[in-house]
Amino acid sequence: MAMVRRPLLLGWMPSLGRRTLFALALFAICFLFAFPVLWLILTSLRPESGVYYVHRGTEFTLASFVEVLQEERLVQAFVNSALISTLATVFSLLVTVSSGYMLSRFKGPASSTWFGTIYVFRCVPYISWVLPLYFVAQSWGLYDTYVGLLLPHIAVHICFFSWLMKGFFDGIDPSMEHAALIDGCTRWGAFLRVALPSAIPAISALGVLCWLFTWNEFLFALILTGNKVPMITVVMAQFVTEMGLRWNLMAATAVLALVPAFLLALFGQKYVIRGLRI
Amino acid sequence: MASISLDKLNKHYGSLHHAVKDVDLEIADKEFVALVGPSGCGKSTTLRMIAGLEDISGGEIRIDGKVVNHLPPRDRDVAMVFQNYALYQHMNVYDNLAFGLRNKKVPESEIKAAIDRAAGILGLHELMKRKPRQLSGGQQQRVALGRCIVRNPLVFLFDEPLSNLDAKLRAQMRIEIKRLHAQVPTTSVFVTHDQVEAMTLGDRIVVMRDGRVQQVGTPLSVYSKPVNRFVAGFIGAPAMNFIEVTVGPALAVTADGLRLMVTEPAAQALGAYRGRKVILGVRPEHLVLGEGAEGRSFDCVVEVVEQLGSEILLEARLGGTRITIARVAAETAVAAGDRVRVSAPPGRLHFFDAETETAIVG
Repeated sequence: MAMVRRPLLLGWMPSLGRRTLFALALFAICFLFAFPVLWLILTSLRPESGVYYVHRGTEFTLASFVEVLQEERLVQAFVNSALISTLATVFSLLVTVSSGYMLSRFKGPASSTWFGTIYVFRCVPYISWVLPLYFVAQSWGLYDTYVGLLLPHIAVHICFFSWLMKGFFDGIDPSMEHAALIDGCTRWGAFLRVALPSAIPAISALGVLCWLFTWNEFLFALILTGNKVPMITVVMAQFVTEMGLRWNLMAATAVLALVPAFLLALFGQKYVIRGLRI
Repeated sequence: MASISLDKLNKHYGSLHHAVKDVDLEIADKEFVALVGPSGCGKSTTLRMIAGLEDISGGEIRIDGKVVNHLPPRDRDVAMVFQNYALYQHMNVYDNLAFGLRNKKVPESEIKAAIDRAAGILGLHELMKRKPRQLSGGQQQRVALGRCIVRNPLVFLFDEPLSNLDAKLRAQMRIEIKRLHAQVPTTSVFVTHDQVEAMTLGDRIVVMRDGRVQQVGTPLSVYSKPVNRFVAGFIGAPAMNFIEVTVGPALAVTADGLRLMVTEPAAQALGAYRGRKVILGVRPEHLVLGEGAEGRSFDCVVEVVEQLGSEILLEARLGGTRITIARVAAETAVAAGDRVRVSAPPGRLHFFDAETETAIVG
């Protein structure tokens, strides 16, 4: 005879009631996260006069999107954000993957010093880096350049994500690399040909996280860039002017900025979930 | 084909942990040597030093007469089978087998021939296209063996290759490894904590404890002439019984409820211990249930009866000591609480110094 096990949570309720309750709870949680986004999309579709009455207007228009896309500076900002996110991801992955590997596999003074360094930098509040970085960027002539923004981003990625990568490599059995060493590989060969291919899901997950981090980043972009390298998050904020708030344009820009992040998360989620499950 | 020699081999981890202490060992060409001992005895570390996966703190390793201390693993021409198989997860079986030879830039046609040969020996032909995670534990371990054969190395190293398999499969693979060694005779070092594996596979076995070699010898010599109490207790299953006895006058040892005569040579060796306590060791399978002459037998009380079908294992109490009796005929009518007579042939008795625990050889 099959055993019927009582569910642990709310086991006393009848099955239908319990299911309904769970469905409602799930819906409430989804609504909590989705509501601001829905509101944003609605706002972006309203004419400028209607943004404060999103809930009771019936007039919808794509004019805000058209206006936003006609602005050269904004298109430039999209290109810049995409470019810097991609470059930062590529360069930081090169370092993060090898540094995570080192932290996972090698014990010794070099490894523990490196570990200590990124630990300290991780503990420092993010915002307190900005002012010194501004001065450094100014004096090195890197202010408002791609490189001036790229370098701090790569540094932050390395400090934040080397730990994750270490965790991934901790989950991969080192004896596979030992077998490769015996089978004729050098230490680098074992890393590149055996450890790295096994870590591809994790590296993909990390790539998605890095890219989204830089795409969404605001503080560095605000302080370290001016007119020459506009970034999407900064340009979006600049709709707050002395002349008033252009909510409809800001919302339209935000919706456009959501799209690549949304797509990446959609296609990358398989890897992110698999990669983060250690 | 090659010999291996270890000369005063030492391994320190930091200043506190001395994992391998002055290990001397000569392994002949084509010999199969099993390193056996409890976990943490340094056997795996010794193997990994031979492979080149661990640095050597002191001493010398020679393979085929050449000192390899500072050679990286890839230049030592050894092959290794790991406990968890260590197959390359992202490659199929064929590529796993080919990996070592491709690293040596061997032409593909030769690689294919070598793989065909290995697959024939191990029955891997059906599995070539599969990824390791699509294989059972036994199949994975066969692929790992195949990876070694394909390379045709000087030395095979086995690091507890059977301990992840279930009991039945382990017995099968044990036979497979034995057959493999007969077909492809290669100098082999096999690390295990399972004394049955060591006994059945090794031409010679090396018993280790706390980083030191306790005894080296053929399985039979280690079984029948253990050099100390540790080896006596470790080799053989069920483990040897140890009873504290006093050496009495006239060829006898005594304990509470026990008086056993010893052989003439043993009596001579025990002469120096007269009146003192020594440890008597006797294997469960050498004790015989039933009547026995005075001075060759003793009484004890049965506590647990384990019916195995082919035989009965008895746990019994003799004074303050618990002893095991094996090979009791399965049909014997015996129950817990019974008082039974057990005889112990004088030629099967071992004696150990109570303090140093070394064997007192007669």
